[in-house]
Amino acid sequence: MSQPLIEEHIARTATGDREAFGRLYSLTSAKLFGVALRVLNDRAEAEEVLQEVFVKVWRNADRYRANGLSPMTWLITIARNAAIDRLRRRREGQAELDAAEVVPDPAPGPEAHAVAGSERERLAGCFGELERDKAEAVRRAYLGGETYAELAAAMDVPLNTMRTWLRRSLLKLRECLDR
Amino acid sequence: MTDGPQPDRDEDRVLAGEYALGLLTPEEAAAFEERMAQDPELRALYAAWAEDFAALTDDFPEIAPPARARARIMQQLFDKPEQRSVAQRLGLGWISGGLAAAAVAAVIALNAGLFDVGPRAPLEPEYVAQIAAEDGTLIVQAAYDAERGALYVDRPVGAPAPGRSLELWLIAGEEPAISLGVLPDAQKGNMIVPTELRPKLAGGVLAISDEPEGGSPTGVATGAVLAVGNVTPV
Repeated sequence: MSQPLIEEHIARTATGDREAFGRLYSLTSAKLFGVALRVLNDRAEAEEVLQEVFVKVWRNADRYRANGLSPMTWLITIARNAAIDRLRRRREGQAELDAAEVVPDPAPGPEAHAVAGSERERLAGCFGELERDKAEAVRRAYLGGETYAELAAAMDVPLNTMRTWLRRSLLKLRECLDR
Repeated sequence: MTDGPQPDRDEDRVLAGEYALGLLTPEEAAAFEERMAQDPELRALYAAWAEDFAALTDDFPEIAPPARARARIMQQLFDKPEQRSVAQRLGLGWISGGLAAAAVAAVIALNAGLFDVGPRAPLEPEYVAQIAAEDGTLIVQAAYDAERGALYVDRPVGAPAPGRSLELWLIAGEEPAISLGVLPDAQKGNMIVPTELRPKLAGGVLAISDEPEGGSPTGVATGAVLAVGNVTPV
């Protein structure tokens, strides 16, 4: 996917260019739908999230330049955040039902075994330097939208311990990624 | 910027990561955003996390959403049912080559018998005009069909500000500008020119101004003139 092309379509979308917006959709909707689907695991909800995402993109395209993100990161972040918001709302509705049976899931997802691409290797390498359950907690926060309270419950540790672990892990991760 | 306490960058690195993950409370997140708005370095710390975390999705396969998703988005953003053709309402007004044939087929099947292609430029216009803003942020191409008394307008660049309308004016000679009406919300549309104004198009100037929603309440332009262009014979 060509980043400069996507960037140009975002810039033109910011001027109200519907055709550019349509091209942006053609180029990126499958990736963003893939992200929403992975987070939500529900096609109907992922579709609604996709709609939210592109409405946001149309309305906020003029603000893209100010944020310093690469164009795909900007789009993926909007999609991830919208999907997480929805997932959290869904979980709030279920929280009482499930509170008693939260089970830790230490198995890393397939993305932990990332292979090709130097960016991914770098990321996987740095995640690999963390203890396994800590790396998993960071991943679950990003892809599962889990809060400190949820992570603490899942890993059966006090909330403050969880927070301290995760914050230390973030610092280690950042040091590794900046190396 | 050298005096005063140096912000604790390690603390900020962690905070930016927590913000990117959505682990902060709403109050903490708002405070972080406020600081970020003032502090480019903090923004860069957040951007670094956002880039790295986004790479966690690199392995996720692309999955084409159903065709109706696109139509719904366009409908939500651009739909004004009372002013638009069925085709435009479904986002077909500006469909380009990239759209999957399946999407077109689905839309046609759903609207069998209702399908139309929306406004089209006249084949033999008598006059044309390019009404453009100096900075290129608004461009409207107009073509006048003398037989129907219709001015076809296509707005490839620019849009009214939220809650505002773009109004088209005809300036003929030394006369005050006369409204030709509010530009259609759709990118392309036809505006019927009142019979008495048709002779004034030749040699006239078209201008677009920013007006309250629905157009100037007074009959004269009240907002900024955004774009102007000469009417030229073909």
